[in-house]
Amino acid sequence: MAEVLESMFFLEGLSEAAEPAPEAETVTVQLTFDGDPPGCFQMRLARPAANTIAADFLGEDAESLTAQQSTDVTLELANMICGAVLSRIESVATFRLGGPQILADGTSQHGPDEATRYTVETGSGTLTVAIQMETPRCSPTERYAS
Amino acid sequence: MAYRVLITDDSPAMRSFVRRVIELSGFELSACFEAGDGAEALAVLKNEWVDAILTDINMPGVDGEELLRRLAADELLRGIPTIVISTDATESRIARLLALGARGYVTKPFRPETLRAELERTLGVPCD
Repeated sequence: MAEVLESMFFLEGLSEAAEPAPEAETVTVQLTFDGDPPGCFQMRLARPAANTIAADFLGEDAESLTAQQSTDVTLELANMICGAVLSRIESVATFRLGGPQILADGTSQHGPDEATRYTVETGSGTLTVAIQMETPRCSPTERYAS
Repeated sequence: MAYRVLITDDSPAMRSFVRRVIELSGFELSACFEAGDGAEALAVLKNEWVDAILTDINMPGVDGEELLRRLAADELLRGIPTIVISTDATESRIARLLALGARGYVTKPFRPETLRAELERTLGVPCD
């Protein structure tokens, strides 16, 4: 995760952090993946962090970002982190990522129950990822991803 | 020397990012075209000549693999170097895409200098 954030989102000095409180304003993205094994990935990102990361990614001011731009970059971030994690876990296996989807507020906000989790402080809010393999509980999604 | 490139990705954010990092890396562009999938890319190539194509793989519509097949089947287009940019770093996928005609492969995440190096390698740009 740190590699993705540092190399493509120009974030430095990331530190591990505690998971955000459930009431915090966040955006949650979920995607499923097929492969051996299949699984589910979730990313939960503080709203201010989502906007800051999108601005850095696109090279624009956070104030001038549209909601769609912030969403597009958040989806791309989830896709990249999931792909990077899977490639490192199983470099010879083939995974096919589903399309990342924004979850409505209050939907699976904490990710799969038995997932491996990791949270970092980005400087403008926390980012938590959760990945669970061999338990395809997530609903199927479109079979394409970036 | 400045180059003409075509960036193909279904994510507008990713297209903007790729263009930005190419410019940040110091690689000179004289023109940069964008396409949302392989079909759009082929439509651009009917009217514009480019020195290199950068393409995602997993896209709705004509995906990156099919784009590589159609480029290889076209006498005029098969010589354009194509670099795949993807999150999928699995060895089997990379091997398959190179066999389909991709000249280069950049795995996300990547740094600007990595993309520049791959562009220069595939275009045969002499090292400084």
